[in-house]
Amino acid sequence: MERILVLGAGTGGLVAANLLASHGYPVTLIEKRETHLFQPGMLWIAFQGHNPSRYTRPVKELIRPGVELVHGEVVGIDLGERLVHLADGRTFTYTTLIIALGAHLDYDSTPGHRELVERYGDFYSGASAAEKMWSHFKELTSGRLVIAAADPLYKCPPAPHKAAFLAAYTLRRMGRLGSVEVHLALPFLHEYPSEVIARIVAPKLEEAGVRVSTLFTVESIDVGEGKIYSLEGEELDFSLAAVIPAHRGPTVRMEPGEVLDEDGFIKVDKYRLNVEGYDDAYAIGDASNAPTSKTGVTAHLGAEVVVDRIMGYDSRFNGRTNCPIVADGTASFVISSYDHPPVPVKFTRFKRMLEDLFIASYWSSLMYPERWAPIFRAYFNATDPRVISGGW
Amino acid sequence: MSERITVDARGMACPGPITKLVRAYRKASPGTLIEVLATDPGFKPDVEAWAKRTGNEIVELAEENGVIRAVIRVTGKK
Ligand SMILES: Cc1cc2nc3c(=O)[nH]c(=O)nc-3n(C[C@H](O)[C@H](O)[C@H](O)COP(=O)(O)OP(=O)(O)OC[C@H]3O[C@@H](n4cnc5c(N)ncnc54)[C@H](O)[C@@H]3O)c2cc1C
Repeated sequence: MERILVLGAGTGGLVAANLLASHGYPVTLIEKRETHLFQPGMLWIAFQGHNPSRYTRPVKELIRPGVELVHGEVVGIDLGERLVHLADGRTFTYTTLIIALGAHLDYDSTPGHRELVERYGDFYSGASAAEKMWSHFKELTSGRLVIAAADPLYKCPPAPHKAAFLAAYTLRRMGRLGSVEVHLALPFLHEYPSEVIARIVAPKLEEAGVRVSTLFTVESIDVGEGKIYSLEGEELDFSLAAVIPAHRGPTVRMEPGEVLDEDGFIKVDKYRLNVEGYDDAYAIGDASNAPTSKTGVTAHLGAEVVVDRIMGYDSRFNGRTNCPIVADGTASFVISSYDHPPVPVKFTRFKRMLEDLFIASYWSSLMYPERWAPIFRAYFNATDPRVISGGW
Repeated sequence: MSERITVDARGMACPGPITKLVRAYRKASPGTLIEVLATDPGFKPDVEAWAKRTGNEIVELAEENGVIRAVIRVTGKK
């Protein structure tokens, strides 16, 4: 009997499972957490004091009839035997597997990082970490807030920029931007990995009153002294700091081990998204090594491609990104694909409205991806990087 | 003989090659040679800017059949 197994009820896993159910496939979805977190929401919790309940929902309320939800932690995947092992000893077989376990956050490769997160929270480690960050941020009346990253590879490349913008606007509204410095320390050569985007973001950061350091990759953190040291040999003092952890692939035992790259991400065919060497197993979203940005948009689009392929269509993933950069009242998007580098996209109010619409549609788009598909398709076609290559 | 690390970033577009270089640099001890192979044309100016800013020495920077080969000596670490 056919059994499609989806691992992880994050963005990619929920879209895949709900879409399959809408087409009448029996699906089993395995997830270790009770609640799903809309991860970008952590930015608004941490730096604008939003209530976490706005961004979290029980997983069981996000699945359609036809999806069987299993609460459990995956510890092993055996691709040859088609077996998935859970921590509690249960074992599942499958005819088709979709791995959507996201990325693992690695605090231990950066000395002092765990202590920093325990003390101040951050905007990557979960809703309660974001609440903790807010509790410190709202009390900050002087000194320096540092937003930095431990490695250049992390999900949502513009997330630190968004954090800096949101923090700066909150401080301005509190009348504290003069006494508190927002310092964005980036592990890139320019203000963004792509120079085209850097040229658009840099003046906006300056306008917002954010100070920027480039080529600053966090190597270690001294929480007691309030100092962050970079791999490039510089240091920054902080009163409050949030450091994006290094990202690794999911922490499950994979058989065979060769399907993992050096960071533990699952090697896939970048167009078909099947695990290298297997046509009955796919990896989507942050867990895969597909050479594109790790974002909810790519996880969602990847899920659609995989479901199409399971249904017998020859769909291909094109690596499309649509990472929003939210500034005060305006937004821009980082739009690229496998065969097109990021295009220059200006900050406008209209794009901010689009981004706010995307955020508002989130829960519905997880549950009813097929209803949103024509709307998203129209947007993605209209903003295909080849179509808007001259700028938007 | 100094230790040598080879990083293959062929086929990766920006910022792939520099990201791989930064990660190799994290593990490298002073004096190590890091060799990076890349096909992204933006890598050449980027690696030059990176070396200048971080105080590391470019021992070799050449392009052959579309592949850029950069050899960097780790001199920026204490
Ligand atoms: C601050 C921030 C801002 C962001 N902003 C944006 C944005 O504006 N736009 C955008 O597109 N993306 C954004 N992202 C990125 C986006 O949230 C992720 O890329 C996206 O969630 C990836 O989806 P996924 O399905 O691959 O993984 P996830 O959504 O991370 O889901 C993985 C799931 O697997 C579960 N899991 C993990 N291990 C196990 C296990 N062993 N057993 C069982 N279950 C397990 C997890 O609990 C989780 O539910 C942002 C991320 C952050 C942190």
